[in-house]
Amino acid sequence: MPIDCKAQCGNRASLKRPKTGDALCKACFFAAFEAEIHHTIISSKLFRRGEKVAVAASGGKDSTVLAHVLKLLNERHNYGLDLVLLSIDEGITGYRDDSLETVKKNRDDYQMPLKILSYEELYGWTMDRIVAQIGRSNNCTFCGVFRRQALDRGAKLLGVDSIATGHNADDIAETVLMNILRGDTARLRRCTNIRTGGSEDTISRVKPLKYSYEKEIVMYAHYKKLVYFSTECVFAPNAYRGHARAFLKDLEKVRPSVIMDIIYSGEQLRFKDTVKNPVRGICERCGFVSSQQPCKACVLLEGLNRGLPKLGIGKKSKGERMIAKQNQELALRERANLVKNDF
Amino acid sequence: MCSIGEDDFGDEGATHTMLSGSSATGSVLNAGSCNKCGLNSQKLYKLNFRMAECCECFLKYVRHKFRASLGAAKVLPRNSEVLLVIDGSSESLVLLDMLHSAQTLNTFKRLHCNVRVLYIDARCPAIKEENVPLKELNELQRRYSPFEFYIIQLDREPQSVQLLKDYTVRPLDSITNEFNSSTSRQDYAQQKRKFLIGGVAVQLGCSYVFEPSISPSLATQLLTSVALGRGSSLALDVALLDDRLQGDVKLLRPLKDLTEQEVQFYVHSQDLKDFRLNDTSHLTGDSLQSLTRDFVNNLQLNYASTVSTVFRTGDKIAAKHNSQGIPASYCVFCQSLLDTDISDTLLAIEYSRAVSEIGVALQLEHSSDVLEKRVVERLNERDDMCHACRNIQADLNSGTLI
Repeated sequence: MPIDCKAQCGNRASLKRPKTGDALCKACFFAAFEAEIHHTIISSKLFRRGEKVAVAASGGKDSTVLAHVLKLLNERHNYGLDLVLLSIDEGITGYRDDSLETVKKNRDDYQMPLKILSYEELYGWTMDRIVAQIGRSNNCTFCGVFRRQALDRGAKLLGVDSIATGHNADDIAETVLMNILRGDTARLRRCTNIRTGGSEDTISRVKPLKYSYEKEIVMYAHYKKLVYFSTECVFAPNAYRGHARAFLKDLEKVRPSVIMDIIYSGEQLRFKDTVKNPVRGICERCGFVSSQQPCKACVLLEGLNRGLPKLGIGKKSKGERMIAKQNQELALRERANLVKNDF
Repeated sequence: MCSIGEDDFGDEGATHTMLSGSSATGSVLNAGSCNKCGLNSQKLYKLNFRMAECCECFLKYVRHKFRASLGAAKVLPRNSEVLLVIDGSSESLVLLDMLHSAQTLNTFKRLHCNVRVLYIDARCPAIKEENVPLKELNELQRRYSPFEFYIIQLDREPQSVQLLKDYTVRPLDSITNEFNSSTSRQDYAQQKRKFLIGGVAVQLGCSYVFEPSISPSLATQLLTSVALGRGSSLALDVALLDDRLQGDVKLLRPLKDLTEQEVQFYVHSQDLKDFRLNDTSHLTGDSLQSLTRDFVNNLQLNYASTVSTVFRTGDKIAAKHNSQGIPASYCVFCQSLLDTDISDTLLAIEYSRAVSEIGVALQLEHSSDVLEKRVVERLNERDDMCHACRNIQADLNSGTLI
């Protein structure tokens, strides 16, 4: 039996909102979905008039919907934002090259400038070459660490005021669970923040989709016929996040509001004074944001360039021992060369 | 797409994969000499990270853990009146046995407190009256004399607590049939149970309640509280001391540092027999609580070190305190400290419900004022309750929680 749209607009309902369970027609769903994101932007004061904002675009559903909605709301509510797309090319054949085509399509559809930065030009390495050297066990560490810094580098290059990322409510709830599972209090403190960074020498990152459910993002993209790329990365999935995700999906089936409840719980957590809280500073080598000296990206890059790809994997002390050993070997070889030259 | 971001990496780089391994890797060995005291023994207990030891040395070690948790925190004054809540589970029998043995030591080492034992008859409708474990409770009372045993039904008022010898089993009114979801039903029962324990403690003149939770059960509780939206009060749900009971009664969890393996060995060494009634709550449908329990049980089997990490995360979380100068307000149902500010997330939850009711009319100018008003009104409707208790209230078919 056909059901009327809950908003009493006179239309028949054509979908059930995953977030609230309400039966709505397509037009009312679009209006509700967009109004929520607008409310998040306004109530959390994510942007200021005249700002230049980079939309981190991977070509996936989240960043595609984010770019579409930000453009739409910018025009509808006259935010006065200068929006640009920023993409990172990790150099993964069969994955990133295809998804970048989607981003280029978004550029044309939304009439937004696009900047693509590659690992190759930033670090001198593509992910394909890194995987060839390190294998598939730790490759996601390199990709994730480099990507974070690459976005910062790209944002600096474009001279933007903030970077908008496509993290949705499911991602944030998953991250809360994941950080509890691994006891990472530093990240647990900040993972629910809608804005991170933004101090004098860092560019802030904002999450306008913080309260949007993944299922609704997919639904919105589907009914709006947005073009997005949905192939999984060809490399390995992440273990902790996989467990947290499977657990969250089970919980969501029983009570859909659990996603928002977990985010709320994460925000409410306070930590004892005795718990270490690393201060985020600036890497003295590359000048980008980091809570370690040197930053993880610099250590990983040094490892690749030295031919010691495992340098940044595992404990810092282990890495230092590896460097010391290599330096010792190099010194020995140099001394041997000197002796040879004497003859 | 790839979903790995900055949050997926620990400070040590790639240490972001769970370490596999079961918790139950200790074993009971047959005759041999104890690595601690050197004496020959019929049974040796080999725990993870410890040498095989005889029964006496093992008991000394595990009882010391219990005493140390109380001693280090200095939370139990001399000659306190203590109410021990047992449910027939192994851990509750271990705590009973430990408390009894601590009372029989010489004056110097004796734990100076007066213990009463409470059993809450909270059987579900599927369990018949003759299955209430009165025989087992009477046996325990004989074994652990002179402790006095009390019993109460979950559906009664605290005043109706009775001595075990005077108790006759009556039909139990179901207090949880009125809920739309199994999650709310169980959350309500848990809060109600806590309320009853506090009331009984006041009735019996006890200022301390001992609850036999061990580390895996507290890890489950932590994740459950997160899923229920009880983040602001979860520190107290898993801490050694919880002061949310009525009448200034304090709830203590002195076994919080014990592992499941230690409990199993203790049960084995003292020949204890658990008699917890089978929990049939899962038959009424999946709940956040049952899914979390299954998730932690699975971790316990395959990634035991992750369970202990979760438990230790709970140790780092601080209880919320009231800001100075602002009068404290507490949830009328669970007694947790309430927020004075409106959370953006709670606002977003209400906003979602409100926008679904307006739909395309949102584009009309006047509707935004109506919307804001509706959202704030809804949030203020029950401002005497925390978010999680409001969720229970929303799942109640009729009436109110209080």
